Amino acid sequence: MERYWQIEKVNLKYHIPLHVLISVLLLLISPFLIGVANLGAQDTAKALEMYVALIGIVLLPPVFLPEQNHDIRDLIYTKYLNGTAIYLVRILGNILLMAVLLGLYIGMLAYHGCEFPAGKYFCGTLTEMLFLGGLGVFFYGLCDNLVIGYMAPIVYYIAAIGGGEKYMKMFYPFSMVRGSYGEKVWLAFGAVILVIGGVWFRCRRKRRFVR
Amino acid sequence: MLGQLFVRECRQTAKSLIYWLIVLILIFDFTTQLGEMEIDEEPQPGQESYGYRQSEDPDIIMRSTLGQLTEEYVRENYTTYPIGFYKNVTLNEKDDARIGQILEETAGIAGRESAEQVREEWYAAQNGQDSADNMENMMYQEPLKVKPADGLTYEHFTELMDEADKILGGGSNYGKEYREKNAQVPMTYEDAVKEYGALIEEDRLTGGYARLFCDYMVIFLGILPVFLAVTRGLRDRRSMMQELIYTRKCSSLTVMVSRYLAMLVMLTLPVLILSLNPLLKCMSYAGKAGITVDMLAFVKYTFGWLLPTVMAVTALGMFLTELTDTAAAVLVQGAWWFIAVFGGVDRLKGGMYGWNLMPRHNTELNWQGFHGGFAQLAANRLFYMAAALLLVALTVFIYSQKRKGRLHIRGKILANRKSKS
Repeated sequence: MERYWQIEKVNLKYHIPLHVLISVLLLLISPFLIGVANLGAQDTAKALEMYVALIGIVLLPPVFLPEQNHDIRDLIYTKYLNGTAIYLVRILGNILLMAVLLGLYIGMLAYHGCEFPAGKYFCGTLTEMLFLGGLGVFFYGLCDNLVIGYMAPIVYYIAAIGGGEKYMKMFYPFSMVRGSYGEKVWLAFGAVILVIGGVWFRCRRKRRFVR
Repeated sequence: MLGQLFVRECRQTAKSLIYWLIVLILIFDFTTQLGEMEIDEEPQPGQESYGYRQSEDPDIIMRSTLGQLTEEYVRENYTTYPIGFYKNVTLNEKDDARIGQILEETAGIAGRESAEQVREEWYAAQNGQDSADNMENMMYQEPLKVKPADGLTYEHFTELMDEADKILGGGSNYGKEYREKNAQVPMTYEDAVKEYGALIEEDRLTGGYARLFCDYMVIFLGILPVFLAVTRGLRDRRSMMQELIYTRKCSSLTVMVSRYLAMLVMLTLPVLILSLNPLLKCMSYAGKAGITVDMLAFVKYTFGWLLPTVMAVTALGMFLTELTDTAAAVLVQGAWWFIAVFGGVDRLKGGMYGWNLMPRHNTELNWQGFHGGFAQLAANRLFYMAAALLLVALTVFIYSQKRKGRLHIRGKILANRKSKS
């Protein structure tokens, strides 16, 4: 357990602070861009699904970034501890950070008089964050390219805004706005598959490299 | 040398996975938004509706604005654009009460129940009692108009609306800028024929559809080029060729300009190819209707409307990648895209282009609006072209400094470690 905590400590100290800072800034400037006070359930869902969930793209895809350099990756993979474990610790740590930021934001919305089912909205938004981030992790792992890791969730988000409900069906990310949570179950399932797939592709690349 | 490098960069881009993903996304965008596009038929007398137009009559402005205020007061939810962004405002009790007083003073409607009744009566009077409860039908009905209170002058009306706008945080439907926009009146057959005439005679059919094409394509072109620019910027580092290229005889200007031009050409090419589809549809229709189309309209609009956006986004991607040696440009451009898209939500009909990176004109009609806003649009496009060229010049400067071993702003060890990522 101690070694996993060490991995997370290094992640928190060196790898993720900039991304956390960007996420916090995104949340702090939100009152200038969207309504955050006295909102009804539908408008609160809109703010959470269309704005706050974006921090999933900022926080999750960069989990492979520290080993982007092949020399460093080669060195890391010679160590006793499995690379998969390192990635999973980082992913879980970043998910926890997302949950904390989301929880604080939801608290702020409630404080400002927004009326909404906090528990449901927390889970629904976190699921969307995980799916957006999971898309990034998957494509980063598949293509070994951070830019593609950012591109995939951003394009998914834009397509969803541009009337994507017709094509995305159960993977439509903004379903809470119309009071539907069924899509969130699919998104949660998809997010798990995407994250596992992304890590698998990353580690598969490693094994091929070692051989 | 520039020509040789340009051709080489084009080949590099054509081999890039990101580039083909961008092409696929553009095809997806085009197919989903314009794939089933049909050319407008000439309006016929006796049609159920011909759409809406903006009026300048103070009485109509007051009726329309008060109608909006009544609607939003009933919903307890107000749409505003405080700094150009779509924002929903829900008021606290004190402010809500003041809006109620303003509504009573301007329209003689006291309380939410009365307002709701006025609204229901309006929609019921249009299509029978049943449709009053049918919210889906409301979007096909004439928007609510409310008669001003007796003795209300236009000056006092504007004063109270300004106050309402202030309570809502600015940028509401009651502020000076948006009040006239509220005054939408149904178009008559004559109005519709006049607008269609402008599409045929002034736009020669293809001009209007070229604007619509640009409106859809600019949404994705406002962000996709940054992915290509960042990938290209990081590629040398990733393949550990950066230092080797630094030592080459070729000037920094030639390296960067050839790279930039290649990206612009390769990004514009699929857009031009996609524009052939609506052009052929227009030509086919025009052939039957005896209209002479402007064959080059799509090319003109692609270069005039879309290229400046592509230039600015690509240049920003190149600049930030060269400056930071990271993919930070993606996040910066993502934020800019978000601001630009939501900033244009209230300007979809065209004519109000402002300084938005992605000017919108989501209709093949409204030539009048386009004509009226042309100077603003031209200034907008020239500004982004100039900004793009400035960013390219700065990129060349940073690149040349790096070749001289300078600008390792994060320290040698860190820069060296990251330089291969």
